Amino acid sequence: MPSLVLERVSKRFGGITAVSDVSFEVPEAGITGLIGPNGAGKTTVVNLITGMYKLTSGEIRLGGRNVGSAQPHEVARLGISRTFQNIRLLPEASVLDNVIIGFHRHEKASIAAGMFGFNASLSEIREFRERARALLDRFHMARFAEHPAGYLAYGHQRRVEMMRAVAMNPAILLLDEPVAGMNDVEAGELGDVFQELASSGMGLLLIEHNIRFVTKLCQNVHVLDTGRTIAAGPPSVVMHDPVVVTAYLGTA
Amino acid sequence: MIVQQLLNGLISGSVYALFALGFTLISGTHRILNLAHAGVFMTGAFIGYYCVVLGLPLWLAIVLAMIGSGLLSYFIDIVAFQQLRAQKQIEFAALISSIGANLILINIAQRLSDTQVLSFPFGTFPTIFFHFAGVRVSALQLMIVALVAVLFGLLLFYLYKTSFGRQVRAVAGNERAAMLLGVNPKSVYFQTFFISGALAGIAGVLIGLLFSSVYFLMGEPYLLRGFVIVILGGLGSIPGAVVAGLLLGVMQTLATAYLPPGLTDAMIYSLLFVGLLIRPSGLFGGQAIAVAAGRR
Amino acid sequence: MGIFEVYHPLFNFFLLNVGYAFSQQIVLRAGVFSVATGGFAALGAYCTAILVVDYQVGEFLALAASLALGMLTGLILSWPLARLRGVYQAIATLAFVQIVTALLLYAEDITGGAIGINHIPRLATTWQLLIAVAIVTYIIFSIGRSGIGRAFDAIRQDETVAGMLGVSIRRYHILAFVISGAIGGLFGGFHALLVYSIEPALFGFEFLAMVLTFIVLGGKGSVWGPIIGTAIIVSLPEIARPLAENRQMAQGILMMVMIAYLPNGVYDSLVSLIRQRRAAKWDRANQEKSHAVAGA
Repeated sequence: MPSLVLERVSKRFGGITAVSDVSFEVPEAGITGLIGPNGAGKTTVVNLITGMYKLTSGEIRLGGRNVGSAQPHEVARLGISRTFQNIRLLPEASVLDNVIIGFHRHEKASIAAGMFGFNASLSEIREFRERARALLDRFHMARFAEHPAGYLAYGHQRRVEMMRAVAMNPAILLLDEPVAGMNDVEAGELGDVFQELASSGMGLLLIEHNIRFVTKLCQNVHVLDTGRTIAAGPPSVVMHDPVVVTAYLGTA
Repeated sequence: MIVQQLLNGLISGSVYALFALGFTLISGTHRILNLAHAGVFMTGAFIGYYCVVLGLPLWLAIVLAMIGSGLLSYFIDIVAFQQLRAQKQIEFAALISSIGANLILINIAQRLSDTQVLSFPFGTFPTIFFHFAGVRVSALQLMIVALVAVLFGLLLFYLYKTSFGRQVRAVAGNERAAMLLGVNPKSVYFQTFFISGALAGIAGVLIGLLFSSVYFLMGEPYLLRGFVIVILGGLGSIPGAVVAGLLLGVMQTLATAYLPPGLTDAMIYSLLFVGLLIRPSGLFGGQAIAVAAGRR
Repeated sequence: MGIFEVYHPLFNFFLLNVGYAFSQQIVLRAGVFSVATGGFAALGAYCTAILVVDYQVGEFLALAASLALGMLTGLILSWPLARLRGVYQAIATLAFVQIVTALLLYAEDITGGAIGINHIPRLATTWQLLIAVAIVTYIIFSIGRSGIGRAFDAIRQDETVAGMLGVSIRRYHILAFVISGAIGGLFGGFHALLVYSIEPALFGFEFLAMVLTFIVLGGKGSVWGPIIGTAIIVSLPEIARPLAENRQMAQGILMMVMIAYLPNGVYDSLVSLIRQRRAAKWDRANQEKSHAVAGA
């Protein structure tokens, strides 16, 4: 699977610089951390990668291919997926359908096949349905298959979002504060899932507040403050960097 | 001749602007398209007509039409829109609900008038014509233009110089933030809907007088023109509505005079269509996001 | 006369409107706020009528031409309109309907202007209509089951998420417009071959409100929604005489009540209610199970 490279990426809104000269790499088969205090520009970075914002300057490449000006759906089709800080599911659709829609970028049946119910479309629907059910089993969510996703409890919604991301099977998965509001047991379970995904070859970018969680999972961590990278390296080193400590705790 | 055409255009443009003022006030403040504005406008004409028929003087008929239409408009807000504010896709819901309210008003007016076109009794407004440098204009037409100017001025004064107006503009900017700052939403909704309705009411009476017809379907053509005006002028822009209304009136009169007959409407709606595509936020800048998401 | 003869015209009218309802539903399902169905229907109706009356073209060829015309118009319209969102899309499609109506009024030599086209042979049979509705129902059903339907549902519920999933919003909006145009054009053609005479006013504001009501009543998300919604509206005047006399009021009240209290329509709301009930039961059963485990 290809890796994701950001090179001197900047974003200005009017006169305000939200992200300035940020460079890092999300390699395949690993978990990279992106941390920083509130307002450091982490979510802006995610929005730049996924095609929501236009780059002011810099380059974003996926496996050597420039994706810095691609539209959101093109970025997704090329293999970059994300989860949202405030989970976003299709609230009216069932849990199963929320997972099946994750396969969208792998659909091969033509529009005509879908419209007229040709076999190509029908067998694809069956296949996706089976694979989605298998995912539901793996995440212990089989019993919720037909429930409307919008009515699930928070933790269950998070799992639906993860299943959807796994169904998309992206090269790069951006996780925007995935364990916010979870207890340690739940977070631990989710951490195992992330490690499983990474060992299957996926490159994960973990954006988190929970330092302990990041330290446990990530091989490399990048620290942002007011839009700039202030430190980078293995978590054990970065967390003891005085610059990082100051950024988090303020000048004491 | 061209001067007369321009003048006629400005007069019918004032009429359009009068209709559009209330329409754009609601769409700007509450971000909904209130299609029942057409029904309120028509109701205003009916109230005015019945008051005059009952023997009341015209000025009183106009005042009662304004009060009646204003209250009706607020009532529509309560029954048609209040319940929808909790929903996510209020745009669609409000459009449907206001179409429903409009249908009810039309139905009542149709039963009331027995599907007839009603006319104000002859002499309700003195038929005086002024001739000036080869141009002919009636006292009623002059009064309409003057009233539009006065109402426009009053509306601007209200919105920009009074504390009520500040609250309305705060809600238009960001409703939740306005409430956190202590703006009473109920009072804002009452004011905007009442004013919008009162403007529709006086427009109804004046237009009923001008064309000497009060009809249960009279709102529809003005509603369609209203769309053109709010899009050209920018959704929610008060000065935009007046300028776009006048522009529309002049263009329409000129088109009727110089284009093959029957093409005027096609031209106006093509203008609306093309206007939406090249500048969805209007000539004077609206506020809502009109265009699809993408890299921004 | 047997019961079927009495209700035969009503049944035809119902089938025709189910077609229109599907044309309206497919765009709303894809999150496109289009009211263009009336325009597609008008084009389809005039296309078939002109071909059959003036050029003695066979029925099926004429209907095929109407379908193709609707489809092509949908495609052309979608190109610029896929850029717009929300009420701006609604207003632009309304402008499209008005342009079509204005041009039909203008091109009197071909279309008969305001009088329209009369003496159209009544070639369409109930069977043909039934088969057309069955085919369209099947296609809508297939779409709903396939990835296209899921993409539509995703766009309608959350455009950002749909984009993140790799759904090209533009592509699916164009598709929805094309399908809506094809269905609208086809049933417009049937319309002409059912009612002897057509005029532009048939496809105006009242048409728009009625077709929207079918979907507001039935729901956007399934094949049953439009069928149920249409059945309710079409049979309403037959239920009681006051309802027939105040059809618009009944329709208006239905629209307001539905959008406020059952915004997803009768059928879709029922389905999701059943799902929620089942979900609640599951949860309760599981809680009891875990209590039992804890107790043991």
